[in-house]
Amino acid sequence: MTTRSFTMKRQALALLLAAVMQNSLAAPATTAQDLLAASDAIRNPDRSFGLNNTLIEYRDGKQIDSSTLAIYARADSKTGQFRNLIRFVSPQRDAGKLLLKNGNDLWFFDPSSKASVRISPQQRLLGQAANGDVMTVNLALDYHASLLAEEEVQDGERQKRASYLLNLKAKHGEVTYERIEYWIDRSNSRPIKAKFYSSSDRLLKTAYYRQFKSQLGVERPTETVIIDGLDPKWITVMRTSDLAYRDVPESWLQRDYLPRFNPEQAK
Amino acid sequence: MTAAARRSPKMMPRSPGVTQLGTRLGTGLAMLAALLSPAAAQADDLDALSLADQTPQTEVEQQSWQFFTEGMLGYVNRKEGQSDIHPSRISLDLSVDYRFNAQWRGVLANRFDLNRVDLKDGQGSQHEQINTLKEAYLSWQIQPDWLLDAGRINQRNGMAYAYNPSDFFKAGALRSVVSIAPASLRENRLGSAMLRTQYLWEGGSLSALYAPRVGNGTSNDAQGADTGSFALDFASSNPADRWQLAWSQRWFDGFSPQLILFKEAGSAPRLGLNASWLASDALSLHAEYSGARSRSLAQRARQIDGEERFYSRLSSGATYTFPVNLSLTLEYQYNQAALDKAGWQALGQQGAAYGRYRSLATREQDNPTRHNLFMLASWNNALMRNLDLSLMLRRDLVDHSTLHWLEARYHFKRADLALQWQSQQGSATSQYGAAAERNSLQALIKYYF
Repeated sequence: MTTRSFTMKRQALALLLAAVMQNSLAAPATTAQDLLAASDAIRNPDRSFGLNNTLIEYRDGKQIDSSTLAIYARADSKTGQFRNLIRFVSPQRDAGKLLLKNGNDLWFFDPSSKASVRISPQQRLLGQAANGDVMTVNLALDYHASLLAEEEVQDGERQKRASYLLNLKAKHGEVTYERIEYWIDRSNSRPIKAKFYSSSDRLLKTAYYRQFKSQLGVERPTETVIIDGLDPKWITVMRTSDLAYRDVPESWLQRDYLPRFNPEQAK
Repeated sequence: MTAAARRSPKMMPRSPGVTQLGTRLGTGLAMLAALLSPAAAQADDLDALSLADQTPQTEVEQQSWQFFTEGMLGYVNRKEGQSDIHPSRISLDLSVDYRFNAQWRGVLANRFDLNRVDLKDGQGSQHEQINTLKEAYLSWQIQPDWLLDAGRINQRNGMAYAYNPSDFFKAGALRSVVSIAPASLRENRLGSAMLRTQYLWEGGSLSALYAPRVGNGTSNDAQGADTGSFALDFASSNPADRWQLAWSQRWFDGFSPQLILFKEAGSAPRLGLNASWLASDALSLHAEYSGARSRSLAQRARQIDGEERFYSRLSSGATYTFPVNLSLTLEYQYNQAALDKAGWQALGQQGAAYGRYRSLATREQDNPTRHNLFMLASWNNALMRNLDLSLMLRRDLVDHSTLHWLEARYHFKRADLALQWQSQQGSATSQYGAAAERNSLQALIKYYF
C-alpha cells in the first residue's frame, strides 16, 4: 500500500465518518417528524375508514356516563388531514344525531328537527365527541415534532418500554392542543402515552394507548385511557372496534348531505 | 380557564354550602398534590389503568329506529276573568330510518298526542287526540352522489335559530303544538308530499323538488284542513303546487352559502339565502334572508287584492359559547311584509281583522310585526352533571311585549325529566300579551325505549 493510497483511504473513511456523523446529528430533527408520521400510520389506516368508538366516563371510581359514536373518516386531498362524519349511536336520546368535522368547520345535525347548526370549536369541546374525533387526527400534519429525550416509560399495560419522547408544537391555531408530549416505542413506533397541553401550557389530559390488536393488517391500539389534567379522578376509557375501510365520498362531507347520511351506505 | 376546568362541574360557579365547600377544598388540595408530585401523578395513572382493566366490554349496535313516550302535567294561569286550567298530555313518537339495500332506504316519522284540559275546580274537561304523520318516504340512491326521494318529506330550509324566512314549507305544517321551543316546532310538523332529487359534488350540491297540490286546501287559511284525529291532512301540507331549487357551493374553507328559488302556484317566485361564518373559536354568525314580490301580510289576511311589492325578511344572529358550558344566541328578526308600529296599533282596535291577521301569521309561522328579537341561553351540565338549563326570550320590538321560557332538564340514562315555565307580558293586543295564558308551568317526563 502506497502512502498516497493510504491517505486516500483515510480521507474516504473520514468523509464516510463525517457523513455518518452528520446524518446522526441531523437525525433527531428529521426522524422525530418521521417517527410521528409512522405512529400516525399505526393509529389511522392509510385511506377512508370507519370505526365504532365507545367512551366510558368515571368520576372518583364511579361510572357516570357512557356513549358510543360511529366515526367515518376521509383524508383531505390537499392537507392529508382526516375529516370526520360522526354519528351518535348511544345514549338513546342522542341516537342518529350527526357531527361533521372539517377542521374548524363544524356542523351539528339533529334528524328529528332536520336542523343543521354550525357550532364553534368551543361548543364541540363541551361534548364527548371532542375525545372521540381527536383520535383520528394525523398529528404529523398539524404539529412540528422534535426529540426531547430517549427514556424508559411505563406503558398502558404497566410494562417498561424504551421510548422516544417527542415534543409536538402546533403548526397553526386550528388545533385543540397547543403542545403535546408524545412517547413512541423505540422498537416499533407504536404510540405509548401522550400529554396534551393548552396554550398556557397547562396539562389538559394524559392518554395511554393500549390493548394493541391486529386491525387492517397492523397492530393498532384499541383502547385509550384518558386522565383529566386537573382532576385525575376523572377518567375516560375509550374503546375502538369494527375498524374497516369505508368508502366515504368527498361529496358527503358537506352540510347538505347530513340529512341523508345513513352509515350503512358507507360500505 | 382550561378545557378540563371548563368540563368540570366542580369548577363551576355556584353557592356552596359548608359541606360542599369542604368537599371542594379537599378536592382542590388533592388536585394540587397531584400536580405537584410526579409520584402522586404516577399513582393516579396506575389507578386509572386499573379502572380501565375492570371496565367490561359492551357492544352497542346502531339502531334504525327511535321510539319515545312523553307525559306532561301542567298548570296554566290565565288572564283576569278566565279560570285557570290544568292541561295534560301523553305522546308517542316513532321514527324509523331503514335501509333495505345499498340503494333503497325507507323513512317513517309519526307522532300521536293525547291532549286533555281540565278546568279549575272540576268544572269539566276537554280532550283530543291528534296523530301527525310527519314523514313517510322512499329514497333511491341512484349513484353515491345522486339521490331521488318520493313521499311525505319534512323539507326544512334555513340556518337561523327561531325565525326561518327561507323555510318555505313551514306554512300550515303545524298540526299539534306541544312546545313553543324552536326545535319542537320544527320537529312536530307535517312534511309535504313531494318528489325530490339531489345531486352532490365536492363542496356543493343542487336539489330540486316538486310538491303537488293535494286536496282542497289553500295557502291563505286553514279552512281546508282535515282536523280528523288520524287524518293525513294533505290539504294543510300540500295546499298548492310548489317547486324549489336549492344550490350550495363552498366558496372557501368554512363558507358555503345556499341559494334557494321557490315558486308556489299563483305567487311570484321567492328567493332565499343562507350563510354562516365562524368568527372565532367561540363565536359563530348566521344570516337567513328571503325576498319576493307579494301582498303584505295584512292584505292577505283581509283577502283583498292590494298592490304587490317586493318584501324582504331577515333573520340574523350570533352564538357565543362561554368557557362554562354556556352558549348564548342572539337573533334579530325583520319582516317587511308585517305591520309597523302604527299599523299594528290600528289593527289592535279591529277585533275580527286582528284575529284573522294573527291566525294567518301563526299558521305561516311568520312574525306579525316588523322587528323582533330572540335570545337563547343554554347551559349544559349546569350546577350539576346531567342538568341542562335553557332560558329563551322573545321580544317584540314594535309593541314591547315579551315571552319568557325557562326549562330545567335532567337526563337519566333512558329518560329525561323536565320542568318548563312560560310567561307572557304585554298589552291586550300585543303579540305576546294577547294570549289568554299568562303564566304556565309544565312537568314532563320523556322515556326512550
